[in-house]
This record gives sequence, structure tokens and C-alpha cells, in this order.
Amino acid sequence: MSRSSRAVVTMPKTAKKGEVFSIRAIVQHDMESGFRHTEQGERVPRDMIRSFVCTYNGNEVFKADLHSGVASNPLFIFYAKAEQSGNFEFKWQGDNNYLTVVNQAITVA
Amino acid sequence: MNQRRQLIVSLTALSLCPWESAIALPSEAMQAMQAIVGKSPVNTGRVYFELPPLVESGNLVAVKFSVDSPMTPTNFVRAIHIISEANPSPNVVSCYFTPLSGKAEASTRIRLADSQRVWALAQMSDGSFWRTSVDTVITLSACTEMV
Repeated sequence: MSRSSRAVVTMPKTAKKGEVFSIRAIVQHDMESGFRHTEQGERVPRDMIRSFVCTYNGNEVFKADLHSGVASNPLFIFYAKAEQSGNFEFKWQGDNNYLTVVNQAITVA
Repeated sequence: MNQRRQLIVSLTALSLCPWESAIALPSEAMQAMQAIVGKSPVNTGRVYFELPPLVESGNLVAVKFSVDSPMTPTNFVRAIHIISEANPSPNVVSCYFTPLSGKAEASTRIRLADSQRVWALAQMSDGSFWRTSVDTVITLSACTEMV
């Protein structure tokens, strides 16, 4: 059973062919780096999102490898070029079976 | 910044980061870049990297990076890597682009453990590498604080 959390993707519902539009994807996650200690001196185990992938009708648009330097609730603002109507899939994967998937349709005129 | 303020800033940084061994040295950042680049030469420039020069909290630092390049299947920006000189681990984030991205630009939010130099290293589809660095001052550092 995989863990998941709330994710919000903001992007246009329609676009003109060839248009480059911005996509904003944010997901709720503590991104525990594994470098922090409790007051008792124990190390807090690492629990992070490791990768984020955005695909457009099955083709990769944008991908990110997240390391310990990414702040909690990771946000990415990036761009995509409208080619044809279809589906955008956003996938976050991480430690301890973390998996969140968001799908968003787009109509290209 | 006057000397007194500089002293206060460095003392604050010291008291917040008692685990010296957990801090990446500049050479570790160079090693991390070497691991990405391999034997290819690295040029300076072309990458636009926006990082505030003075940050109040290192826990949440908004950054923006881009490369002014066409995004055609034969000529595009393959990736932009963000490398830190003073974080516990030098790699911060690696973003990969494709011709479908339309534009090699991304924004995200990172953590910075100390006042330091941060690098943005771009990899082009022709195999060339370009980099830019930005220096920043952090008044409250991230990563090593108590929970």
C-alpha cells in the first residue's frame, strides 16, 4: 500500500497549438532530510520525495531529481508546449512507498 | 555590511550548525559537479540563476533558473543541476527538460544551510556544460536545527 498526499496542479484547460504555457505543481510533504536531530540527539530518519515526472500523452515533458536541499512541500513551476489535446500526468515518488499521481486534461485548438 | 554585523551573522551560523562534519566543503560541490560533467570542459555563463542575495530563513528559498536556448529536437537544454557549497549534501535538485518543455526555465524552493555560493550547472543536448554561481547570505540556516 503506497502513501500519498495532497497535490495541486495549476495549468490552463485549453491552449493554442504551439503555445508555451506554465504549469505549477505543488505537493504536501515534509521532505525530512535525514540530517536533523531531536533534542535527545537521535537522528530523524530520511523521508523524502525522490522524483517528480510530468508526461504529456505519455511523453516526458519535465523531470526532477529531488535531493535533501529541496524545501518542504516541493513546488515546481515549469513550461510545456501545446501539441495536441490529451492528458498531462504528474507523478511524485519517494521514500517509504510514497506515490502521488495527478492527471489533468488539456484541449488544444 | 559592517564588521560587527558580519560577526553576529557568522556567530549565529556557528551556533546553529554545531555539526561541522555534516557540512559539505566547496570541494565536495566541485566533486558533485565533476560527477555530472565527467571529462567534458565546463564553460561559464549562459545560465540565468536567480537567488536572493540576502535570505532571512534558509528553510525556504525561492530560486529560478533558465537557459536562453531554442528547444528543438536537435538543439535543447537537457538539464539544469543546482549544487550547493555548504549544505550537508551538495546536490540540491536536478531538473531535466525535453523539446516538449518549450522553454528551459523552472522555479522551485530550496533549503540552504549557511551563507554560501550556489551553482547552477546546465547540460545542453550537444554535450556542452555551462555554469553560473550566486553568493547568498543566510541569517537563519536550515537542515541542522533541532526538531
